[in-house]
Amino acid sequence: MMNRVLLKKYIGQSSLLFFSCGLALFAFSWIRVWVVSLIDMGQFQTIVEQFREFEKFAPIEFDSLFTYPGRVGMTFDEPIVILCIVIWCVARGSDVISGELGRGTLEMVLSQPVSRTQLLVSHAAVSILGLALLCLLVWAGVGAGVYATTVEETLPPPTVRIPIVGIDLPLSVDDPQTQTLPLRDRVDVRVFAASTFHLFAFGFFVLGLATLFSSTDRYRWRTVGSTVAFYILQMVMFGLGKAAESLEYLLYITFFSCYKPQKMSSIVASEGLAAPWSLTHVYSNIWLPPMVYPLILIGLGVVCFSLATVCFNKRDLPAPL
Amino acid sequence: MPQATPAKRNPVGKNIDELDTACLVNRNSCTENSELTLANNKGHNAPHQATGDQDDEVLCCEGLSKRYGDFDALIDCSVRIARGDIFGLLGPNGAGKTTLIRLLLGYLHPTGGQCKVLGIDPVADSVEVRRQVTYLPGDARLPRHLRGDGVLRFFAEMHPLGDLHRSREVAEILELNTKTRVAFMSTGMRQKLALAVVLGPQTPLLILDEPTANLDPTVRAEVLRLVIEARDSGRTVMLSSHVLSEIEDICNRVAFLRHGRLAHELQMSDLFQRHRMTATTVGESIMVPDALADQVVVRTTPSKTGRTRVQIDTAGDLGPILTWIDSLCLTHIRFEPFGLRTVYDAVHDGQSFLGAKKTLPDRVSDEVSS
Repeated sequence: MMNRVLLKKYIGQSSLLFFSCGLALFAFSWIRVWVVSLIDMGQFQTIVEQFREFEKFAPIEFDSLFTYPGRVGMTFDEPIVILCIVIWCVARGSDVISGELGRGTLEMVLSQPVSRTQLLVSHAAVSILGLALLCLLVWAGVGAGVYATTVEETLPPPTVRIPIVGIDLPLSVDDPQTQTLPLRDRVDVRVFAASTFHLFAFGFFVLGLATLFSSTDRYRWRTVGSTVAFYILQMVMFGLGKAAESLEYLLYITFFSCYKPQKMSSIVASEGLAAPWSLTHVYSNIWLPPMVYPLILIGLGVVCFSLATVCFNKRDLPAPL
Repeated sequence: MPQATPAKRNPVGKNIDELDTACLVNRNSCTENSELTLANNKGHNAPHQATGDQDDEVLCCEGLSKRYGDFDALIDCSVRIARGDIFGLLGPNGAGKTTLIRLLLGYLHPTGGQCKVLGIDPVADSVEVRRQVTYLPGDARLPRHLRGDGVLRFFAEMHPLGDLHRSREVAEILELNTKTRVAFMSTGMRQKLALAVVLGPQTPLLILDEPTANLDPTVRAEVLRLVIEARDSGRTVMLSSHVLSEIEDICNRVAFLRHGRLAHELQMSDLFQRHRMTATTVGESIMVPDALADQVVVRTTPSKTGRTRVQIDTAGDLGPILTWIDSLCLTHIRFEPFGLRTVYDAVHDGQSFLGAKKTLPDRVSDEVSS
């Protein structure tokens, strides 16, 4: 199904983009965790409380923002992370057919004894492997940040509780004592395994979609345009679905509803490490068992790749322009 | 009396007339024969084994058509190429040459008819066809991020019959610096590189779409020499070109396409027996003797000076024709060989001319009617 020489070619072609995105993702994730250690969210608690009515627009409950795992977990929803993953997926997905057709190189490649399916599968294999590595680099960046960062915590002063009234009175009027401790004491990196898998599933679908559009077109710019247009449309639907109750049905028809990395972190915090991988148990605040969401994205991605293979095999290949 | 045309022999010594007749009689042989040949080719990289006369047919198309919406790119095209041929494909831009080649290689799906390349149907198994055929596209574009040598290595590894040593040799013959990146190569250098890629694998069939485009005269000559060398080593070549002199120099058979139709087929050996004579005479009508009726076509044009310009197209042995011409009291006689240019122009203008060999479907319908 795969061709060794084509694999080599695609690895060579995509390596620059991979290293750029990989470096950006790793460094950003690391820095993002370090920034978490700089900001004491406790100071913003009052402000955040005023925005409770907008909590539904946030990917997680506001309470999670006051925990280290919750704040670190937000990395998976950061626009830069999503942007890098989408760039990889759209760039690689759009390249496979319309990109090669546009450059005119498909003609020479397909003059060799390789089937169209082989070409598509080889390309997809490199792109999917690259995507998986990029997601792992995000996780690795988070892990590096967690292991390299220390946080300063304020120790609560000893208090005494006044009976009947139920008020805690501090026993000391000195400045509050602080202690420095490694972030890894507060955050278990394994918590983000499920979030990383969600990021991969999200990218897999976008990659499949871009490949499908690429297989039916001869201009790469049009493939990129179509994919981005679809992406933005889905994002708007997601936002509207959350904003208005009358439009809630839109949440059922947008793939963004299946991307829940922070929800997975919350589930791990409350239910344990194995909880996000369940295919049967439904937890609070989600409609389906947690593992079903990424599997829907992967399933849709597989459908897109399959349709792309059929379209590519059936279409006439125009001569280079 | 019609002049007997000498038996035409292709470079591997086969009598082409016999081959053509065999093709015509066995209209369905394309399908039957293909099964035999496919069986021979099923082994990985198995060389083509001749199993009989029909196996000398490398390529055959029957009524091949390609339609895009309302536009017919190729209409009812029937072509046969025998082993060892250098088959030229001629026609103006948009005539359907590249469409025909792309149909043969499975880039396009035909809307009608069928074709077999080395007995393999490209619609059913285009990969097997491309295992047996090397193809140079009209506008060969190569990966720009690679150096010349990297491109040669890449394609040599891709093709089971790839030969990096041979490709490098061709690049050297064409005086190509393979250390340069493709992105920095000129159009001519890229064409040389593509030729080095294509002339590497020793496949039974070589299809070249305008192989000498963008090349200087010296390199063109080298390319033509390499094509002849390929033919001499037992390979069959199909090439399309707009350079008539090249086709004239190296091809033994030529097909003309016009508006998507196969307008004319020609044996080059026939062409070399044809001449055009121009002269003037004093107003007399010229009667062609019955014996020469199918060997000459006479056109007369009156001029203002009162004299008549005469144009006589001849085919076959000039001996008896010269005797007749001598009796015509002509002046200002000029003879010239009937070049491919003349045929091309005639086909392009939709004219008929002497000795025009009917295209395959016409010949078959004649046989059926007789």
